Amino acid sequence: MRIKSESTATPASSPWRDGWSRRDFLKAAGMTVGGTVGGPLLAACSTSSGSSSSGPTQITFSSARFYGKSNMSQIVDEYNKSQSKVHVTYQELPPPSSSTEVHQTLVQQLARKDGTPDVFTQDVIWIAEFAGAGWAAPLDSYFSSSDRDAYFPGLIQACTWQGKLTALPWFVDAGMLYYRTDILQALGLQPPQTWADLTKTAQAAMSQQKANFGFLWQGKQAEVLVCDAVEFIASANGAILKPDGKTVTIADPPAVEAVQYMYDTIHQSKISPADVLSWDEEPSRRPFTSGQAALLRNWSYVWQNAQDPSGSTVVGKVGVVPLPHFDSGKSAACLGGYQYGVNAASKNKDAAVDFLRWMSQPAQQLRFATEVGLAPSKASVYDDPALAKANPFMQSLKSVFVGATPRPVTPKYPQVTLVLQSQLSKALTQGDVKGALQAAKSQIEGIVKA
Amino acid sequence: MQPIPTVAEGPGAPSLRPARPPGLDTRTLRTVGLLLLPTIGTLAVVSLYPVFRGITLSLRNTTLSSQTDSFIGLQNFQTLLGDAQFWNAWRNTIEFTAVSTLLETVLGLGMALVLFETFRGRGVVRASMLVPWAIPTVVTSKMFGWLFDGQNGIINYLLKGSHLIQANVNWYGSTQHALQTIVIADVWKTTPFMALLLLAGLQSISGTLNEAARVDGASPFQYFWRIRLPLLMPTLLIAALLRALDAFRIFDLPYVLTGGGPADSTETLSTLTYKHLFSGLQFGFGSALAMAMFLTELLIAIGFGVFLLRRLRASGG
Repeated sequence: MRIKSESTATPASSPWRDGWSRRDFLKAAGMTVGGTVGGPLLAACSTSSGSSSSGPTQITFSSARFYGKSNMSQIVDEYNKSQSKVHVTYQELPPPSSSTEVHQTLVQQLARKDGTPDVFTQDVIWIAEFAGAGWAAPLDSYFSSSDRDAYFPGLIQACTWQGKLTALPWFVDAGMLYYRTDILQALGLQPPQTWADLTKTAQAAMSQQKANFGFLWQGKQAEVLVCDAVEFIASANGAILKPDGKTVTIADPPAVEAVQYMYDTIHQSKISPADVLSWDEEPSRRPFTSGQAALLRNWSYVWQNAQDPSGSTVVGKVGVVPLPHFDSGKSAACLGGYQYGVNAASKNKDAAVDFLRWMSQPAQQLRFATEVGLAPSKASVYDDPALAKANPFMQSLKSVFVGATPRPVTPKYPQVTLVLQSQLSKALTQGDVKGALQAAKSQIEGIVKA
Repeated sequence: MQPIPTVAEGPGAPSLRPARPPGLDTRTLRTVGLLLLPTIGTLAVVSLYPVFRGITLSLRNTTLSSQTDSFIGLQNFQTLLGDAQFWNAWRNTIEFTAVSTLLETVLGLGMALVLFETFRGRGVVRASMLVPWAIPTVVTSKMFGWLFDGQNGIINYLLKGSHLIQANVNWYGSTQHALQTIVIADVWKTTPFMALLLLAGLQSISGTLNEAARVDGASPFQYFWRIRLPLLMPTLLIAALLRALDAFRIFDLPYVLTGGGPADSTETLSTLTYKHLFSGLQFGFGSALAMAMFLTELLIAIGFGVFLLRRLRASGG
C-alpha cells in the first residue's frame, strides 16, 4: 500500500487533521470490520434462499472431495448446463481419507436443520445415524422398487433404515482377494474358494519359498479391522448385529469360528505375520506389490498400485477374485463407498431429487467410473462396452460387488465400532476369542439398547 | 500453583479499603479498566469460556448424532469410574508419562552437562540438537513407523545383524512392545528440549563456585553431586513438571502409529477422548473424559509443586 502524498489530499478531507474524533474513527473501523465479516454472510444468505420467482431453483450439494481426470464441480456444472430449472452450488468437504472431518462437518450442517446442504454424500456407515436422527429424508416415494432393483442388493440393504430408503447408492467399493497369478501357476493351484483352501495355498507358497508371507490382511485397531471381520464373519453365515439393529450375534458360533480363523492365520497356521496386527491398508499393500506376499485382502485401489511399474514388482502378475468363504456360508465383501442423501430439512426436495436422478443415470455412473475411478453401484453399467474398454479391471469386479455386505446398521455405529475395534484386537492378540466376543456382545448391547 | 496470600479481612482487620495511590482519580481508573478490558475479554473468550463449557458439558448427555442434550449430573463420571477402557487408558498414560519424563530428564541432564563444556563445534552441536524437537510429531511418527517396521524396518535389521535378536521383533503389533516403542520415539523427540532447559539452568550457576570447589580439593564427581545438582534442582523439577504435563497429553504418536492398539495397549487418555468426542460425537461423555484428564494433570502439578516448595524451603532455610 502506498501512502498518497500530502499535496494531493485536500486538508479538509484528511481525517487525522482535526475534525475526526476518536469516536468517529471507532465507528468507521467497526463498520469496516462488520462489513467484511457480514458481507459474505449476506451474500451467502441471498444465494441459498431458495427459488426466486424467475430464476432456477437454487440447491446446495456437499460432498467429500473425489477427483481424477474430472472433478466433482465439473460434473455438477454439467448438470447445471444440461437444464434450466435447477442450479446446484457445490460445496467441497475434505477427501474421504479424512473421514472423521467429513463426518463432523456433515453432522454440524445437518443438525442445524436449515436445509443446507440440500443434497449430500455420506459414507455407508453413517446412513443409519443420519436416518435415525431424522436428518435424511426418506426417498421411497421418489425411487420406485424398479429404480432400486438396478443397484446391487447389498447396497439397497445398506441404504435402508427401518424399512425406509434413506440414501441412494453412488459408488461402491468392497474387500477382495488379490493373488499372484505366477505363484499359483507354479504351485498348480486355482485361486482359493474357501478359507481352508486359502490356508493350504498360502502354506504351499511359503513352504516352497515362493513368498515370505502367505496371506496379508488388516488387523490394526482401526475401522478396517471391523471391515475385515465383517467379511470373515459373514462368510461363515454369521453377523455382528441382526438387521433389526438390536440383536447382537457377535458371540454366536459362526462369528467365533470366523474370528478364531483370523487368530489362527497368525498364531496357528502362521500364514500371516504378526505384523498384520498393526497394519492397515497401506502397510499390508506394500509387501504385496513388492513381491513378498502370495495373497492379500484389500480394496479396489490396490489394482492401480500393482500395475504401476514405478512402485510395483508384480505388474501383470496379479489377479483378483471374491474373498473365500467357510463351508457354512458364501463369499462376502465388506461394503464401502459413498451414497447420496437428501436433507430432511430441505425446502427444495423435488429439485434435489431431480439432481440425484441425473447423477445416478448410467451415463453419469459410467463417467464417474472412467474419469474419477469410482465403481458404479448399478449392475447394468458393468456390461457397458465403454467400461470394458476404459477399465477392464473394474468391469471384472461385478462378481465381488454382488457379495457386498454392509457393516452393522445402527445409528450408534460410531460407538459400536469403537467397541468392535478394541475387542477384536484383544481377541486377535490375546487369543481368548470367545471371551473377547462375549465382552463385545455385552458392551454393544448396552449401546444399542440405550 | 500456590494460592496468592490475601490480606485478612475479618472484623478485626482494618476496615479501610487499601489507600488509593495519589493521583489516581476515578477517570484514570476508568481508563485503566477500559484498557484492561481487551485482555480480560480475550482471556474470557479463549480460556475461561471453553473451560466452563467443558465442565457444563461433562454434566450432560449431549450427543450430536442421537440429538440428546439434557442435564444428567455426575452420571458420566459414574460411567467413567466403571469403564475398563478408561482405566486402561489412564494407566497407559501414567506409565507413558512416568517413563518418558524420567528418561528424558536423565538423558537431557547428560546432554546438558556435555553441551555446557567448551569444545570445538559446540555452537553447531547445540543448534543441531534441537532438530528432532523441531520436526512435526506426525512426521516423527511416520519416520518411527518405518524405522521400527516389524518386517522391513532398519532397527530389526541392525539388531539381527548384530545378533542381539534371533527373529524380527513385532514392535507395533504386540502388546508388550507397542507402548515401549512409542516411548522411544517420544524420548528421541523431546530429550533435546529438556537438555536445553537444563543447559539454561547450568549456565545460571556461578562459575566461582567451581573454582572454590576446586581450590578446596573437591573431585568433579563431588562438585556435581554436592553443588551443581542441588543448585540445578529447581530448574530440573520445573522442567520435569512441564515435560510431565505435556507427556500426559500424548496424542499424535499413538494416533498415527497404532491407533490405540493392539488390544488397547497404546490407548491414552487423549486418543480415547478424541475417539469419543470426534468419532462418536459424544460431547457429554467426551468432556467428562477430558475433565478426568484435567483433574489428573492437576494432581500431578500439585505433587510437583509441593515437592518443589519443600526443596526450596529446605535449601533456603
